Amino acid sequence: MKKILLIITICLTVCLSFPQQVWAFCGFYVAKADTKLYNRASQVIIARKGDRTVLTMANDYEGDVKDFAVVVPIPVSVTKEQVNVLNPKILERLDAFSAPRLVEYYDYDPCAPPLPVYKTQEAPGVAREGGARSDQALGVTVESKFTVGEYDIVILSAKESQGLETWLIQNGYKIPRGAKELLSPYIRQRMKFFVAKVNLEEYEKGGYVNLRPIQVAYEYPKFMLPIRLGMINSKKEQDLIIYLLSDTGQTELTNYRTVKIPSNVDVPEFVEKQFGDFYKAMFTRSYEREGKRVAFLEYAWNMSWCDPCAADPLTPDELRQAGVFWYDPNGPSDVFITRLHVRYDRAHFPEDLRFQNTPNQELFQGRYVIRHPFRGTISCQAGKEYLRRTRQRQEREAQTLANLTGWDINKIRQQIDFVNVHGQVEDTPWWWRKERPERNR
Amino acid sequence: MKLKLFVDPRDYQISFLIFFLFLGIFNREWSLSFPYFIPLIVSCLLTQFIGDNFDNINQKLKELLTRERGRKSDLKWKISGLKSALTTSLGLSVLIRSNSIYTLMIAGAMAIASKFIFSVEGKHFFNPGNFGIISAIALTHNAWVSPGQWGSDWFYVALFICTGALVLNKVGRWETTGAFLVTYIILSCLYNYYLGWEWDVVLHQLSTGSLLVFAFFMISDPRSIPDSKIGRITWSILVAILAFVLRSFFGVTYGVFIALFVLSPLTILFDKIWTGQRFYWPISQEVGSELTVVNGGRA
Repeated sequence: MKKILLIITICLTVCLSFPQQVWAFCGFYVAKADTKLYNRASQVIIARKGDRTVLTMANDYEGDVKDFAVVVPIPVSVTKEQVNVLNPKILERLDAFSAPRLVEYYDYDPCAPPLPVYKTQEAPGVAREGGARSDQALGVTVESKFTVGEYDIVILSAKESQGLETWLIQNGYKIPRGAKELLSPYIRQRMKFFVAKVNLEEYEKGGYVNLRPIQVAYEYPKFMLPIRLGMINSKKEQDLIIYLLSDTGQTELTNYRTVKIPSNVDVPEFVEKQFGDFYKAMFTRSYEREGKRVAFLEYAWNMSWCDPCAADPLTPDELRQAGVFWYDPNGPSDVFITRLHVRYDRAHFPEDLRFQNTPNQELFQGRYVIRHPFRGTISCQAGKEYLRRTRQRQEREAQTLANLTGWDINKIRQQIDFVNVHGQVEDTPWWWRKERPERNR
Repeated sequence: MKLKLFVDPRDYQISFLIFFLFLGIFNREWSLSFPYFIPLIVSCLLTQFIGDNFDNINQKLKELLTRERGRKSDLKWKISGLKSALTTSLGLSVLIRSNSIYTLMIAGAMAIASKFIFSVEGKHFFNPGNFGIISAIALTHNAWVSPGQWGSDWFYVALFICTGALVLNKVGRWETTGAFLVTYIILSCLYNYYLGWEWDVVLHQLSTGSLLVFAFFMISDPRSIPDSKIGRITWSILVAILAFVLRSFFGVTYGVFIALFVLSPLTILFDKIWTGQRFYWPISQEVGSELTVVNGGRA
């Protein structure tokens, strides 16, 4: 539409605070007491170049920190130098940078369109120990043991799952039922177990409010993320946001299909106030339409720029913190981010996630458009046509929204402020009327 | 000449591959579409034409250079190879991915050129499509294969098996695919059992559309595989073992393609050890108004 000119780009970060309280993670939580441990939406950053991987795991753990413990299978043993804790801000920055965004346009007076005025609106915030002797008998080897930040970390290798389970129980970790069977495949693949719990002394010394994300660096050809252990405690669907950083291009799943989230669609104005709800409803509907078996691509972009920007691109220092070990500030920017959203459960995601970095430079973003109709006084006959077309457009937007979210079309219509097609056109007296409205003043 | 379709197994292959392309683009939301696939197909056909008519083209060029125009030439242009090139190009389109049209054209040209370059006693031993994929990935760093692009839906599993079986039935060399799949399935199941995963894990691994497309539409190419039955079976088993090892133990995403590429030259050796009747695609000949198929189908 000619008369629509771009004014504002508001970028809303989607609230990822999914309501269901579930157990989730690449590994599983093991409580030291019978405390209920919860984790809502896991977020993982994987920076990978060649065989080198930097894996960052974050969670919304809300229980008592003294009860926090996590077991994650990793392919190789790591030492203290390879483990780090990350400033949670980096994750928020990545989230904000890559989140699906809402874009707003204002229609101009169809009779006398003024020059576009650019104004920005602030984006709302993100919605969002054991003895050596018994170890040997159990076939469990403590590969290394160290403290990083607020975490006490033990790297274990095991010969069989029963031994590992016994070791964990003896050392005060409460193993979820059914863990033994799931530990076995990882042991047989000769994977190690990264076990972390909170060192209360360090935690109190640091004065942290929340537990910080843990970062592990290792070198291994297989590019995978274990999700099966996280399914032990819950048959419910769990949400996982994966930020994949590569030096080549998009990262894709090799053992599940990746689908682009619906994007670049016009939605009614009121969605601005309910963007979080809209996105969640749309995601759920897309997920169900695809038979719950796919991962969704929410963002794929070169990290040196963005358009429109949901947040400023990460600084070189932030990128390095996020795990981009290859970043060279003097060289060309070669960091590509892929944001995948996986909603998984046991029935539909039986296998751990496997990835590959591809040279695919195709850009993609989840982008939703609001077009505000001109609501001033219509002072020419051409305005009538504008109103008629706008009314049709609003109806199309309502249908799009109903189709994307599954919301009731009538309720959607009720919330739309439709333009009045039969409104009176205020006639400009003939002696002031111009032949053509001035478009460029 | 009266056009008689579906005598040649390649007619089936071509129709199914076109159907898969449409499904991929419209149902699986591939990012690539016809503007990418058409240049790839054209590059395959052109390379085939040049390869088939190399001497003629040479002579034509000489004529042009020596300005001996006007002389009526009785050159016979060979176009019978184009159907194979079309099959290869469609197979490539279903598998290879790139942001660059040039990369796809290179893949197409390399695929067909390999038939003329790597040939022993008139038989090429690299699978053309596979050669195109590997060379594009290695040479351009701008191509990839998306093994997850089909997902593991039952509809696609059934579709690939049914259409693949139909083509194999026409070609008559089903044991290649059979031996490959049986070996791969057995190894996967054994490994799955050893690791202690549930059965739906291995089922999910095996029902991936890309594996089936490879098994039914790539490895089965009857022209580049060993001539004898025993040779084909042994060769397929080796490809399956290597593919499985590469994927499961070394995390190589393109395990099947690399396995096929690495083991393709074994075809020459196996043909020396076990002799068998070579496969030729049916050549349509006009006899009166009847169309006959010469030396095609089952070997």
